[in-house]
Amino acid sequence: MSASLGAVGVGFRRRGVPVTVVVCLVVLAAAFLAVVLGPVLYPEATKQDILSSLMPAGSPGHPLGTDELGRDILALTVAGAASALVGPVCVAVGSMLLGILLGTLAGYERGPLDFVISRWTDLLLALPVLLAAIVVSGVFGGGYWTTVALLVLLFSPSDIRIVRAGVLEQSARPYIEAAQMLSLSRWRVMFRHILPNVSSLVITNAMLNVAFALVAFSSLSFLGVGVPPGTADWGRQLTDSRSIMFDNPAAVIVPAVLIIAVACAVNLVGDWLGQRLTRSGGLS
Amino acid sequence: MTGIDVALDGIEGPAGRMVEPLSFAIAPAASLALIGESGSGKTLTAKSLVGLLPPGFRAAGTLRVDGREHRLEQTDASWRAVRGREVSLLLQDPFTSLSPVHRCGPQIAWTLEAKAGRRLPARELDAEVARRLDEVNLPARVARAHPHELSGGMRQRVAIAAALASDPRLLIADEPTTALDASNQAEILDLLRELQHERGMAMLLISHDLGLVRGRTDEVLVMRHGEVVERGATARVLSAPEHQYTKALIAADPALALDAPVHAEASGHAEASGRSEASAADPPAAAPLVHATGVVKRFGERTVLGGVDLDVAAGEIVGIVGESGSGKSTLARCIAGLEREDGGTIAFDGAVLSPGRRSRTPGQMQIVFQDPYSSLNPMMTIGQILREALAVGGRPATEVAGLLETVGLPADAAAKRPAQLSGGQRQRVAIARALAPRPRLLICDESVSALDVQVQAQILELLGRLREELGVAILFISHDLAVVRRIADTVTVVWQGRVVEQGPCARVLDAPVEEYTKLLVAAAHRDRPHTHDHSTDGRTIPA
Repeated sequence: MSASLGAVGVGFRRRGVPVTVVVCLVVLAAAFLAVVLGPVLYPEATKQDILSSLMPAGSPGHPLGTDELGRDILALTVAGAASALVGPVCVAVGSMLLGILLGTLAGYERGPLDFVISRWTDLLLALPVLLAAIVVSGVFGGGYWTTVALLVLLFSPSDIRIVRAGVLEQSARPYIEAAQMLSLSRWRVMFRHILPNVSSLVITNAMLNVAFALVAFSSLSFLGVGVPPGTADWGRQLTDSRSIMFDNPAAVIVPAVLIIAVACAVNLVGDWLGQRLTRSGGLS
Repeated sequence: MTGIDVALDGIEGPAGRMVEPLSFAIAPAASLALIGESGSGKTLTAKSLVGLLPPGFRAAGTLRVDGREHRLEQTDASWRAVRGREVSLLLQDPFTSLSPVHRCGPQIAWTLEAKAGRRLPARELDAEVARRLDEVNLPARVARAHPHELSGGMRQRVAIAAALASDPRLLIADEPTTALDASNQAEILDLLRELQHERGMAMLLISHDLGLVRGRTDEVLVMRHGEVVERGATARVLSAPEHQYTKALIAADPALALDAPVHAEASGHAEASGRSEASAADPPAAAPLVHATGVVKRFGERTVLGGVDLDVAAGEIVGIVGESGSGKSTLARCIAGLEREDGGTIAFDGAVLSPGRRSRTPGQMQIVFQDPYSSLNPMMTIGQILREALAVGGRPATEVAGLLETVGLPADAAAKRPAQLSGGQRQRVAIARALAPRPRLLICDESVSALDVQVQAQILELLGRLREELGVAILFISHDLAVVRRIADTVTVVWQGRVVEQGPCARVLDAPVEEYTKLLVAAAHRDRPHTHDHSTDGRTIPA
C-alpha cells in the first residue's frame, strides 16, 4: 500500500505537479463531469413537487434536502453546473480569441490600427461590467447567450491589452527581426512566431477570466437578469433559496461553496499553467 | 602579515562539486588573473570570496585579509562586515551594475556613508564624491548624471569609484571590460592598475581573455572544469605555457595573433571557388553586390549615419570596425532593411531598394545577430526553425540534416529547443538559419562578440569555409580588430557615422593613414601585445 502511494507521489513529483494543483484539477474534473452527466443523471431536476418542499438535509431520498418548490437540492446543483460553468468558459475563450486577434494586430502593426483598437479597449474598460450587463438585459431582454456575448465584449479589453503588451515586447527581439529577414508573411510572424511566446500570459489571463465570469454570471443570475427563473443554475439557486436559508441552509451553502471552489481551482490551475509555459520557453 | 591569502576547500553546487580545492595569495598592490572559459568555475570562486554564491551553492575555506581570517561558510549577516569593506566586487556589465533610477553621485555616497557608519554632512559628502570621481578621471558633474546619460566606459569608471569608495583591501574584478570596446578596455584596465599601486590594494582579475591580462597582472591561474590546471607568473604562462589546455587557449585567441599575416593574402580563394568575376582583391571589376551611397540615418535629433558609402562585391568579406555608437550596426541594419534610412541609396545586385524593403529580396540577404540567446524563437525546435528558413528559399525540408552538418552540429540537434543548446551551438543554428535560403549576402552584426574565444575561433573558421564553399559575401561588423583581421578582405573604419578609412585589410590595419584608425589599432595593440611565439601556428585562415 505504502509502496504504491510512494510510486504515485514520485510520478507527480517527476512531472512537477504540486498537491494544490492536483486538488484543483480534481475539483475541475468533478465540475466537468457534472456539466456532462448532469442532464443525463437528473433530467427532471427542475420539476416541482410541492408535497416534499423544504425538507432538511439528510432526509430519505433527498441527501441535501429540498427547496420551497420541492426540488431536490443535490439534483438541482448537479444539473445547474452546466448553466453555471458553460457560459463563463465561453466568455473566457471568446474574449481570449478576440484579445489574441485585436491585441496581436495592435501590437505588431502599430500605427492607426493600434490607436483605434486601444481607444476601443479604453472605452470598454470605462464601462462597469455588471451595470452594463443589467442595462443590456433590460433593454434587449436578457437571455443566457446574450449575456455570454455581452460579457465576451466586456472582458476582452484585459485580453487585448495583455496580448498587445506581450507582442510589443516580443516584436523588438532579434528572433522576430530574423523572421522578418526571411520575408515571412506578417500573419506567420504574428501567429506562428510571436503568439506562442505570449501564450503563457494569454492562458493565465483566460483562466482568471473564467473565474471572474463565473462570479459575474452568478451575480447576474442572483440579480435576476442572467438566467430565467426555473432554470437549474448555481447563481439562480442562491437567489431563489435566500428565503429558506434557515429552513434548509444546504440550499444556499452548496451552490455558494461550489462557485467559490471552482473559481479558486481555475485561478490556481491558471497560475500554475502560466508558470509552466513560461519555463518551457526559456525566455521569460 | 599583509596581503590576501585564500584557501578554498571547494564549492559544492546542486549538481555536485563545482570547484576543487585551491589556494592562492596576493601581495598588497599585486594582482592575480583567474583565467578560464565559461563554466570553468572562475566566477564561482570569485563570488565565494564575497559570500555571493547563488542559492544552492556552498563554499568552504578561509579568506585572510591582512591577517584577519574570514570563514567562507559564514552567514550572510556576517559577510556584510567583509563585503565592501575588506573585499569589493566590480561586475562585468556597467549597463546593469549601476542603479538606473539613481544619479551616479548617490551611488558612490551610499558606500561612503556605509563605511563611515553615519550620515555625512552634504557638503563633505559632495566633496568626497567629487574626489572619488576625480580618482577615476571623471569630472565632478558626473555625480549629477544618471547612468544612462554616460557611455559604457564612463559607467564602468563610476562603478569602479563605487566599488573603491569603501577603500577595500581586495578588489575582485569579474570580466570588468568584456562589455566595453577595445580602446575603453585598455584604459579601464590601466586605470585599475594605477589605482592598485596608489592604494596598495590587491586585485583578483577574472577574465576569459588571455591577451587582456598580459602586462597587467603579476600572476595567472588557469582554471578548467573547476580545477587549476596551470599557475605562474603571467609572462611565463603566456610565453611558455605548460599545460595542453593553456596552449589551446592561447592558440584560439585571435588577439594574440594581431600581427599575424592577414588572410586577404589568400584572395586567390575567390577565383578558385568559381567566382572569378568578383575577386575579393579588386571589387570594382564587376558590379558590386551591395552598393550603398550617401546613407543617412537619424534617430530624432541625433545623426547616426552621416552619408556613408559602402560596396560589397560578391563573395567578398567586408569588415566594418568602429567603437560602440559609431553607427556600424545601424549601417548594417539599413542595408538589411531593418531600419529605414533617411537619405542615400542602397542597391542590391544592381537594383535600388526603397527604404525598409525586405520583401524585395526574399532570402537573398540574411543577418546573424550578436546575442544567440534572443535571436532564436524559444518556442520552436531547431528543426522547425531551419525548415521554415529552407521553405523561404524554396528548398526541401530534407536539407535540415545537411545544414546542421555544414555548421558542425549533430543531426539530433533538430529535435531540441534553443534553451537546450549552449551559446556557441545557438550561434551555429543562427548561422544555419541564415544560410538556409542560400543568401548571397550574410550580415554578421557582432556575431562572435558574445562567445568564448575557442567558440569564436570555430565560428570564424566556419564563416571562412562557407565563403569558400558557397561563395556568399559577408558583411562582418565588429569592434574587435583582431577578429576582423582574421576574416576580412577589406576593412571600413566607421567613426561618428562617417567612414574614416576604407581599404584592403592588411593596408588599413598595418599601415593606417587616418589618425582615428591609428588610435584604434594602437589601442588594440596596447590592449593585447604581440606574442612572438604564438602568432603564426594554427591561426592563419583555413584554406
